[in-house]
Amino acid sequence: MTDKEKECAELIEKSKEVVRETFKKFKVEDLAITWTGGKDSGLGLWIIRQVCQEDGIKIPKVMTIDEFDVFQEVHDFMEKYAKEWNLDLEWCRNDDLIKAAGGKLNATVKVKDLNERNQSELKRIGFEEETFPFEAESYTGNHLMKTVMFNMYIERHNVKGIFQGLRRDEQAARVQDEYFEEKEAAHLIPGHLRIKPILHFTERLLWNTYQVYKIPYCILYEQGYRSLGAKTTSAIAEAGVPAWEQDLEHTTERAGRRQDKEQMMGRLRKLGYM
Amino acid sequence: MKNVVLLTIDTLRQNALGCYGNKRGLAPFIDSLQDKCTRFTRGQASGPYTQASFPGLLTSSYYLEYGKPKGLAPERTLISEPLQEAGIVTAAFHSNPYICGFLGWNRGWDVFYDSMEDEVEPRIPYIRGHVINTKVSDWLSSHAGKGEYKPFFLWLHYMDIHEPYMPEKKYVDMVDPSVTVSQDEMYSLFENTLLKRDTSDPAKITLLKKLYDIHVREADTYVQEFFGTLEKLDILKDTLVIITNDHGDEFNEHGGLSHDDKMYSELIDMPLLIYDPSKDKGEVSDNVVSNLDIPPTIVHLFGLAPVEGFKGHSLLPLKDYPRTGVFGEAIDQRSQRGGNMDKDIYYYREGDLKIIYRADIDAWEMYDLREDPRELNNIANTSPKAEELKNKLLPRVRRWIS
Repeated sequence: MTDKEKECAELIEKSKEVVRETFKKFKVEDLAITWTGGKDSGLGLWIIRQVCQEDGIKIPKVMTIDEFDVFQEVHDFMEKYAKEWNLDLEWCRNDDLIKAAGGKLNATVKVKDLNERNQSELKRIGFEEETFPFEAESYTGNHLMKTVMFNMYIERHNVKGIFQGLRRDEQAARVQDEYFEEKEAAHLIPGHLRIKPILHFTERLLWNTYQVYKIPYCILYEQGYRSLGAKTTSAIAEAGVPAWEQDLEHTTERAGRRQDKEQMMGRLRKLGYM
Repeated sequence: MKNVVLLTIDTLRQNALGCYGNKRGLAPFIDSLQDKCTRFTRGQASGPYTQASFPGLLTSSYYLEYGKPKGLAPERTLISEPLQEAGIVTAAFHSNPYICGFLGWNRGWDVFYDSMEDEVEPRIPYIRGHVINTKVSDWLSSHAGKGEYKPFFLWLHYMDIHEPYMPEKKYVDMVDPSVTVSQDEMYSLFENTLLKRDTSDPAKITLLKKLYDIHVREADTYVQEFFGTLEKLDILKDTLVIITNDHGDEFNEHGGLSHDDKMYSELIDMPLLIYDPSKDKGEVSDNVVSNLDIPPTIVHLFGLAPVEGFKGHSLLPLKDYPRTGVFGEAIDQRSQRGGNMDKDIYYYREGDLKIIYRADIDAWEMYDLREDPRELNNIANTSPKAEELKNKLLPRVRRWIS
């Protein structure tokens, strides 16, 4: 084994330990896996599959959020492997919001046109205006399309533990993250445990692992995307240069997202600053 | 001393503390630390609200130095940076949206928690002190909980005193059980009186002040909890703690509420305590000092060479502190989104004389703080020292316009 292969094997072993510990704590029916079709949740899913095959366990159900503004390539990639790996995959979509937006990105949505759940969710994040534009990566859009769908999925299936493909090196705030994170129940948020088996992987080591183990990934990464979110707000980092060949160590993975600015502005407004 | 902690409490008025004369016992724990503290009686914030004051507090530079403020100007040196370079572990835990990573304040920190990833309540959009304490405690346990550890600089900030003034019942009962206002009523008071700066009803202002005082008591419990953590981990004996604020709060002393662009004592006077576990007797200094002096003090405490970009001077040793005056500046935040550069205000304090200049209306105010601590008697036109002080302040007015 080369040093590179050894390093990846050790990281995978560590992840498998976390996954196995989870299977000790919970029944398969009480677990779920989040999958975006991206490289991180993809690695998490692959590792969980390995453990399930090795230990003869049924793979937990998988959920993905359809944020409406998706890449066809990501969608196709997920459909292909959901079938090949025989996954119980559920696509979650906030259809009520999409309907209120007339199925059009950037359309203005009137809060009063939304159902009760969506309206309560807007109240919960302190959103008090009467309209907002339908954009998945805006703070409001992100909350309704992603966070709310996530919480509703957990409620609907009574999920006790959910696997997430997050890495520590993605954001400075994650440095202290643990493999197991208890989320207390709150209004409109069911209590659950979040399990993050690939926390210790860096972006570089993640790609090394994909190569060593020949794990499938979405073709967009070959075209130069480093990070895949909503289609309109994800940009190619370096055109034509596969993600793993880019300067991962000295450039940022996710450009400053507009969502961060809106979060900040929202809080300042609530504190009376604007 | 091995480690330094900067513990800042948002919106804490200097005169809310017993050690500064308050008789209501709102901060018994902070008061109890005095035997091991150097307490500064004449500390002055460099600005009357968060954005104006934090550049002094964390970068030892002035708010309007680089013109219209946006994020953290690249020219400023954040206290974390020289410390991190020197191999000191730097960690920040706070929940003030103005000092977030998005605006660039996460430079130089090995650990930076700004709460922007976490859920907050819609009415009180910040993380409470005991949650900050939990995160700090988790980090300290992992960093310093098992034998040898690298020296650290920790900055933690409590937001709890900041409006909307909605204290929980347990804190209300600690201070004034006669307050029976519901959370909804407190929020209504915030929206209809405080946000509108409506000072017409004295009873409402008294109530706002009561709620404020209760929050001070609450914040004191968090300080106590934090010191408890340091003690439990056996770190306290090796750690110096600087306790201060960013600015104060007004309760109609000069016709207003909250913390706007004014330079009076209720906003500018800074509580400033340096807790040193190796002291056996408290010290009091009446040096007129600025919050710009805090970063150089921290650098000095770690035994490092002075940092070029820092405009302040180390507070310690006390006898070496230069007897010069201190400055502050701000702009009007409320009349224009992003702040109004044409409505700028400055102050200069030397000894017990303070001069204030509002540039847009060319208005001078001057106060003798010993004779007139409430700053009601403007002596700008009568004081023989007025000219001298004006000449010291004028070069700073709109200096960014070339």
